[in-house]
Amino acid sequence: MLKATLRSFLAHKGRLALSLLAVVLSVAFVAGTLMFTDTIGSTFDRLFRSTSADVSVTAHNDVVGRNDQNLSGTVPTVPASLVQRVAQVPGVASAYGRVGLAGIVLTDAQNKNIGSIGGAPTLGLNWSQEPNSPVDLTAGHAPTGDGQVLVDADTVRKHHLVLGQQLRVISATGGFPVTLTGMATFNTTNPGATLVFFDTATAQRRLLGQEGLFTAVDAAAAKGVTHEQLRERVAAAVGSAYDVKTAEQTAKDAAQALGTFLSVIKDALLGFAGIAVLVGISLILNTFSMLVAQRTRELGLMRALGASREQVNRSVLVEAVLLGVVGSTVGLLLGVGLALGLIKLIAAGGMVLKGSQLAVRWPTVVSAYAVGIIVTAVSAYLPARRAARVSPMAALREADTPGRGAPLRIRAIGGLALMLVAGAGLGGAAADKNLGQAGLLLGVGVLLSLIGLVVVGPLLARPVIRLVGGWFPRVFGPVGTLSQRNALRNPRRTSATASALMIGLALVASLSVVGSSLAASFDAQIDKTIGADLIVQNTTGLPFPGEVGDTVQVTHGVGLAVRGQASRGVLVAADGTQKKTNVVGTGPGLDKVVRIQMRDGTVDQGIAPGKVLLGSGYADAHGLRVGSPVTIVFQNGRTGTLTVGAIDVTDPNPGGLGDEPVLGSATLRSFLPGALDDVVFVNVAQGADKAQVKSALTTALAKDPQVQVRDQSDYKKLIRGQIDFLLQLVYGLLALAIIIAVLGVVNTLALSVIERTREIGLLRAIGLGRQQLRRMVRLEAVVIALFGAVLGLGLGLVWGLTAQRLLAAKGLQALSVPWSTVIAVVIGAAVVGLLAALGPALRASRLNVLDAIAHE
Amino acid sequence: MAQNEPGPAARTVGLSKAYGAGDTAVLALDRVDVEIDSGRFTAIMGPSGSGKSTLMHCLAGLDQASAGEVWIGDTELTRLGDKQLTRLRRDRIGFVFQAFNLLPTLTAEENITLPGDIAGRRTDAEWLKQVIETLGLGDRLKHRPHELSGGQQQRVAVARALAARPQLIFADEPTGNLDSRSGSEVLGFLRRSVDELGQTVVMVTHDPNAASFADLVLFLADGRIVDRLASPTADAVLERMRRFDRRPSTPAAD
Repeated sequence: MLKATLRSFLAHKGRLALSLLAVVLSVAFVAGTLMFTDTIGSTFDRLFRSTSADVSVTAHNDVVGRNDQNLSGTVPTVPASLVQRVAQVPGVASAYGRVGLAGIVLTDAQNKNIGSIGGAPTLGLNWSQEPNSPVDLTAGHAPTGDGQVLVDADTVRKHHLVLGQQLRVISATGGFPVTLTGMATFNTTNPGATLVFFDTATAQRRLLGQEGLFTAVDAAAAKGVTHEQLRERVAAAVGSAYDVKTAEQTAKDAAQALGTFLSVIKDALLGFAGIAVLVGISLILNTFSMLVAQRTRELGLMRALGASREQVNRSVLVEAVLLGVVGSTVGLLLGVGLALGLIKLIAAGGMVLKGSQLAVRWPTVVSAYAVGIIVTAVSAYLPARRAARVSPMAALREADTPGRGAPLRIRAIGGLALMLVAGAGLGGAAADKNLGQAGLLLGVGVLLSLIGLVVVGPLLARPVIRLVGGWFPRVFGPVGTLSQRNALRNPRRTSATASALMIGLALVASLSVVGSSLAASFDAQIDKTIGADLIVQNTTGLPFPGEVGDTVQVTHGVGLAVRGQASRGVLVAADGTQKKTNVVGTGPGLDKVVRIQMRDGTVDQGIAPGKVLLGSGYADAHGLRVGSPVTIVFQNGRTGTLTVGAIDVTDPNPGGLGDEPVLGSATLRSFLPGALDDVVFVNVAQGADKAQVKSALTTALAKDPQVQVRDQSDYKKLIRGQIDFLLQLVYGLLALAIIIAVLGVVNTLALSVIERTREIGLLRAIGLGRQQLRRMVRLEAVVIALFGAVLGLGLGLVWGLTAQRLLAAKGLQALSVPWSTVIAVVIGAAVVGLLAALGPALRASRLNVLDAIAHE
Repeated sequence: MAQNEPGPAARTVGLSKAYGAGDTAVLALDRVDVEIDSGRFTAIMGPSGSGKSTLMHCLAGLDQASAGEVWIGDTELTRLGDKQLTRLRRDRIGFVFQAFNLLPTLTAEENITLPGDIAGRRTDAEWLKQVIETLGLGDRLKHRPHELSGGQQQRVAVARALAARPQLIFADEPTGNLDSRSGSEVLGFLRRSVDELGQTVVMVTHDPNAASFADLVLFLADGRIVDRLASPTADAVLERMRRFDRRPSTPAAD
């Protein structure tokens, strides 16, 4: 029996090729994703371990979590005297003061930003040769005195810098010229950060604003002292005002922060892999169903010769498992290629990984085989059962009995029931006010409606195909009639083939509805809240030195410039409950550049000295009114009690003024000295031309390439661009599912052509031309693809609509259906059909007429 | 139109057909010269492997000759490419095969008008009505092939062959899959199409009874025409067959 199975497997290898490709693609995506994220993880792990000191001491800070972006530009520091205190702790071999600050800007003499772009930071550091330093001086000499810097080798190479070259650094204290005196090379893989080293005094003065401060103290353990022992001793010596961590803890914390980011990427990629797997399952299921149907006589003969049902069942399953093993192996190899490709791709985005350090861990290999084998075995299970039910009489019967199987009535009832439940779920999701619960309902609704539509698909084939292909006979004559009827011949098969396409297109449609609604909502929000003519902001959202605001204020044509600051802090209510929040500072005139709906008092009253402007949401929740005292813990740990000066209406929408307290800049800086601006709103002077002022500002700010001057339409474009980029990324990933779906169409058509060989022979004999025959096959493919597109778009629009209703409370208030995308998808589906038909159509048209007529 | 054409409807000159090449080549037709008269019912008979189907396939433009000429009316087929042959089959030839004559997705009526539809021609309604009446298919037109009996299916095939008024109808063992009653019915219709509608029919068969419906029987053996018999009866045909064929004939087509 096994021999017969193997023979049959090999005999059908051509027909299984496309199923194999589906397995390969699914497995490759899963394996590639795992290898890629593992490689990122291991690269950073090595980096963190190599850059962490045995024990490091930093200022303790409750307010700013380790992973919060530093909004204000103020940095927790430790005094230089701490170095001596740490050095004296028994067991410390040596102690170094470290200055390390992210968010500085490095430019060349032409003010072009040459720091890292994308995710990795540009770091300013003090140069000190610690024993386990991750970098070595490989060219030039160490920086000595103001105006000398060392830059990492990757950046030097990327921008072709030469020793002695003039550069500029912009830090919290402003911009200043520097000379490149040397190059430092990482002794592990640098994933893309730009490092700028100063001598210690310069680093302190230029980065932290004053000498005698460090951001951390690193200690190396003496021989025989473990890191943990040393940590305990240092912690005891410095007290609770400081955080003391071992290298392991530091690396772990850093890895954890990265881990969340990585797991988001991983989950997203695996999600798409899952969709690809789902589509792959439907393709394989369909292929095996067709193979079993074609082999009915052969299976009947085996049964007549004495094979038991189990044996027949097993033979089909063994065939599937073989396919799974072969597919997984090839897929795993392709996954390596995919991971290397992804590594190349993100290298262009600024994160540098080494292909030679590709992490292939055993769980990846196990998952690859598990996915491949389970997918094929599960997909082949139903067809295998059907194969086992073939009666020995089938061997004697004529080959093509018309489509049998469970009557469609059961399908109709089951499918409709599913759809009803799904509809209820989606309706509930749209109406539910509880976001978590609504999300759950949406998920259930999406899943059930998908399954329901797949189940009732065969029933929908007739009406939908009449709709999308109804005009074929009129336009294409008998070829159109034949192709339409052929597509309807086996509604189960047509629907199964189309459902693969349906899944991909439903996701495309729903996401594009959400994306386009998001853009429309942001547009509306920008119109609603931003009153300023121009906005000056850092491209990365980080703060910038005060000189930017100073420049703006004196630029010709600027009427009103309102400088804003952002920091982190904690609102402490009278009952002691704490709420972490942003604490915003602003200059006078905020109400002229941002549209704020006031409830009590005016904006100016709210930002007067010692006062705070609060959101109605928080005020109402804690019974605060104008004149009530409010306690705020600022990010540097200082606590201030302020008086509520005014209350605005909380705007829950993204970009709107929420519950965060707004203070006058002077009030904020009295508690948080040195808080930097992160935005300057500009209204042009009366009579000045907006475009002229914009270009004047851009020119004036040329020395600060990190900030940009934008008007409202720039903002809308920016946000649309970001949403489009995300959507394109998602479409790109969904392309995999669509490729697999196309393979399904190819597969179905190829098998149909084989099944209908005699018919094709007959048609050719009575005078159907080759071209007409090709057109017939192509039109059939187009009909199937359009069927899938119509179902997919319908489903996707319903999903998108539900998601929009669900997110309306979160600010997604505008509903926008991207009709251009919808039309593009329909046309795209037709093109997909045409492409899928190329091979089968050619094959059909090349059949020898006589052989075809004589075909059994 | 077809019945008024002067000269033979089809003819071959020194037609040879070989399968394979070199030492293993098999000569299916060996310099055959034959004329098919217009407006007559010609049967081609012969044992298995005699080349009778090959002759028909070459005459009908389904197979390529190795040497010699094939003429349909005044058109020489061996020089035509696939496109022209397809057009010739569509416009000037009708086919009735042994089995699987109809497209399962089309109704009987759609099957009948298919060649005309493919050509983008409207089938002459009067003629179509006459054909359908003659074949007694009036109440079966909306049926799909699987709703028809074997005999009815073959009648639809004959109707299709007639509908386009081809110059020639080729029938390849048209009764091979039918019981004798249905078979006689179909043969009767072919006969009537010649007598009443003036058609030209060429039929390949191994059944002497079927051959007895023809005006002329050509006997093929080893790729040559070995005999001919005008106004045949079943017994006469059987008698001739015995004379030159010692091998037992199998019921299958070549």
